[in-house]
Amino acid sequence: MSEILLSAENVSLTYKTRVGGFKWFEHKALNDISFALKRGDKLGILGRNGSGKSTLLRILAGIVPPTSGSVICTPGVKRSLLTLGLGFRQDLSGRDNALLSAMLQGYRRRDAKARLEEIKEFSMLGDFFERPLFTYSSGMRSRLGFSTALYTGIDILLIDEALSVGDATFRERAQNALEQKLGGDQSLVFVSHMPGQMAKLCDRVIWLEGGVVRMAGDVAEVSEQYELPAEPMRE
Amino acid sequence: MRLRQFFELVDVQARMSLKAEASKLYLSYLWWVLEPVLYVLVFYFVFDVVLASGKADFLLFLMCGKIPFLWFSKSVNSGSNSLVQNKGLMGQLDVPKTLFPYVTLQEVLYKQWAVFLVLFAMVMYYDNMPTLNWLWLVPLMVTQYVFIAFCTLLGAWLVSYVRDVRMLIHMGTMFMLFTSGIFWDINQVQNEALKQALLTWNPLAFMIDAYRSVLMQNQMYDLRHLGVLAGVMAAGLVLVHGLYHGQSKRIAARIVAS
Repeated sequence: MSEILLSAENVSLTYKTRVGGFKWFEHKALNDISFALKRGDKLGILGRNGSGKSTLLRILAGIVPPTSGSVICTPGVKRSLLTLGLGFRQDLSGRDNALLSAMLQGYRRRDAKARLEEIKEFSMLGDFFERPLFTYSSGMRSRLGFSTALYTGIDILLIDEALSVGDATFRERAQNALEQKLGGDQSLVFVSHMPGQMAKLCDRVIWLEGGVVRMAGDVAEVSEQYELPAEPMRE
Repeated sequence: MRLRQFFELVDVQARMSLKAEASKLYLSYLWWVLEPVLYVLVFYFVFDVVLASGKADFLLFLMCGKIPFLWFSKSVNSGSNSLVQNKGLMGQLDVPKTLFPYVTLQEVLYKQWAVFLVLFAMVMYYDNMPTLNWLWLVPLMVTQYVFIAFCTLLGAWLVSYVRDVRMLIHMGTMFMLFTSGIFWDINQVQNEALKQALLTWNPLAFMIDAYRSVLMQNQMYDLRHLGVLAGVMAAGLVLVHGLYHGQSKRIAARIVAS
């Protein structure tokens, strides 16, 4: 049996948000979630808007602590949230943004610089790579984001809807690159509201709804249930 | 995150930020020098032309106080916002939260070099040529940096709890502006007890007086006082770092939910 890299035990999270003056609003975003991720596992988290999937990813990445329960990550395991356009700034060139973003993902300056040509080539941005970001179309921006984010060396990739980027040609390229990266021991947690993407990348799916696990299991099974009409959103 | 990586990231983030800012201006980096020069001209116009203060080196006296003060106020005012401003990044990345205030500190520091050069040029224009004594500015500036870092980190942390603190910080820096002896000479305070209290409890009052001793009178400041000040500020800074380290995730959770 392969080792467990990351496990969530009875994770709950309550947002306490201030809504003006001394008024507070409480919202239970996650309620009693448990699962384990082994080396090489490809786990999908499926859910509609506001189902708590991005919040869960944030907790798994170790960015925020859960209100109760715990997330246990095996010491020495590197996990990272693959985020499109991490720390991008409108008034810097694609090259500068790529450098900044790669360094935020944990690269040293010289390593990040060494990757810039690869990123430029993969993004297919050509001369635009040297121009400021505000001259980009939204598709170009996501190309740059994806190309930059892809170049990381970590054990668990946590991805939030990464594949809905760019035009058809680039999407295929992105998909292939990701599949290549995911071969072998790479573990993955992939968050999306579209079961179609899940089928290509994941072997196990958790369906979140209103902060609780509605269903867990094989991709095809869960997708079938998920595609039935949605219930109205509840508090 | 290793220490070297942290420093590299602070450096690159700060440079990129300055680059982005400069790219929006026609005169780009020239503003680093133009801004302090215009500043001096405005003060010259007000104090030497309109008010005709009479004292020959009053303008220099003002600038020796105002320029170190600007370093403090710019850092603290913009740095206090640095945590809440980086909400987006904080929700996506588990980094030491001290990164954000330090990036702001570094940005201001890079710009401040040009401003100090303008000040030095002005000092020389007033016939105070550099001597070896000027080297005593180095420990003074280091201490000031530690003091600024302490105030900024503490301020940013407080603002992450209660945003209203930002208003108090603005008022606080204004209070410092008037109590640090920028427009008046602290050595002319008649009440000796009050003078000592100001020098003891307002680090900026002591530091500004020290800048003037070196730059205008070519004299030494009270080194022992500076040593104690540096020690206390460094201890405070270590404590605040401990706070950030222990609370890293709580800070992120609080800011993401806000």
